[in-house]
Amino acid sequence: MYLTLNAIHKFFQDTQKETLKDISLTVERGEFICIVGPSGCGKSTLLNLVAGLDTPTSGTITLEGTPVTGPGPDRVVMFQEAALYPWLSVIENVMFGLKAAGLPKDSQREIAETYLKMVQLWHYRDYPIHQISGGMRQRTALARALALDSKLLLMDEPFSALDKQTIHILRAELEEIWEKHKKTILYVTHSVEEAVYFADRIVVMAENPGRIKEIVPVAFPRPRNIEDAAFVALRREILSKVQLSAREIAADEFDKEEETLL
Amino acid sequence: MKTKKIAGNILFFAGLILLWQFLYTAACDWFLWAKPYAIPNPTGVIRCFLLLLSDGTLPAAVFGSLLRVVTGFFISILIGILLGICIVNSGCLARNLKPLILGVQTLPSICWVPFAILWFGLSESAIIFVVVMGSAFGIALAIESCIQNIPPIYIKAAKTMGVDSYQLYRYVIFPAALPAFIGGLKQGWSFAWRALMSGEVMSASMGLGYTLMIGRDLADINQVMTVMLVIIFIGILIDKGIFTTVEHRILKKRGLV
Repeated sequence: MYLTLNAIHKFFQDTQKETLKDISLTVERGEFICIVGPSGCGKSTLLNLVAGLDTPTSGTITLEGTPVTGPGPDRVVMFQEAALYPWLSVIENVMFGLKAAGLPKDSQREIAETYLKMVQLWHYRDYPIHQISGGMRQRTALARALALDSKLLLMDEPFSALDKQTIHILRAELEEIWEKHKKTILYVTHSVEEAVYFADRIVVMAENPGRIKEIVPVAFPRPRNIEDAAFVALRREILSKVQLSAREIAADEFDKEEETLL
Repeated sequence: MKTKKIAGNILFFAGLILLWQFLYTAACDWFLWAKPYAIPNPTGVIRCFLLLLSDGTLPAAVFGSLLRVVTGFFISILIGILLGICIVNSGCLARNLKPLILGVQTLPSICWVPFAILWFGLSESAIIFVVVMGSAFGIALAIESCIQNIPPIYIKAAKTMGVDSYQLYRYVIFPAALPAFIGGLKQGWSFAWRALMSGEVMSASMGLGYTLMIGRDLADINQVMTVMLVIIFIGILIDKGIFTTVEHRILKKRGLV
């Protein structure tokens, strides 16, 4: 067991909302785990907890036997917005974490070069962030995250703000990179298609409170074809599960309202 | 385009001076609404300016004033940064000290002159004290607000990349806050410049404010006006020439203009 989530609960005092309830999950080294669920099911909260940016109300998270107590470079996060620093160039952004780790300048550049070439941005290394496209920004963010060679890569809907064409290109790139490096990835997405494309296992979540509804293993060979019949069938199956839970909640809330009215 | 703009500027100010001369002549010579010694006039101001320049009074005054304001301003920046960071990092200070500082900030800096004289006597330190009291709090508030306005995701991302708190300030918070901070310094500068004049008018033995007071004592309204114009000119020069230029350059580098 590489990453273990043990009976995680998260209760937000200010909103009095039980966001996560009894989440237990184990992840093996090199696994690609996708987390899907209706919006508001707490999937991003879960990722934040693993990142150490927030702490669970109860329960423990351990990575290679070490409990998670705060954010750290062994669990790099790639966010929905690229979160690049506009005062740094592309390559300086990629070197950021390496500089923080105190690496000598030469090896910073060397590592940044490797990963910028991997995401095909070497040519743009000296560009300021505002002069590159949204897709390139996410690629820079990916290179920045990979450069730290973390034990765990946490991705929070990293492609959802991009256009469809760019998404397809970036997916293929990420898939290729993952196959080469076998990073352990926890990937939160609202796109079931994306989950079926990437995941070894898909964690389907339900909301109110956020909990794991089902864990679906995906055994299709890679790279996967999103038009393949089996792919489409699985996508539909999971989509119906996600939507079902969304509908249940809507019905549930409606009933509650009815009750209070009566 | 640029020459046209400059020509426009020159024309505007030439017109303004002509209007001024016309109003002076009308008021003092034609209708006798006012006594000539109470109204400055362009020729008198130019004559006075040349005189003050050639006898060395004006250069010495400008130098003395700038030296004081720069000293005071740097002390203000130091105090402002420290105070601002303390407020950002302490909920208690943010709740209690921040409103107090906001209040003190509205206090005209001339109110500090009695303290300055009691504590420091009629000395350089007294004037620098007034400058610091006039601008440090504004800078502290600017620091506080520009740190608060940094997108939280910058800080989150940095934390997940393993920065310690020194690195967080050095590599993320300061650079992220820089454009807004320059804006805050610009405002702090104008507070400092104003405070300097309050201090100099009350207790200096040289400097622009003092030269202005000499003008009053000699009932030389043209000298008063000359010094006022020099004060305005230096204010504009530093605001536009230094702060706005630096601010613009930073924003441009980040693609924000």
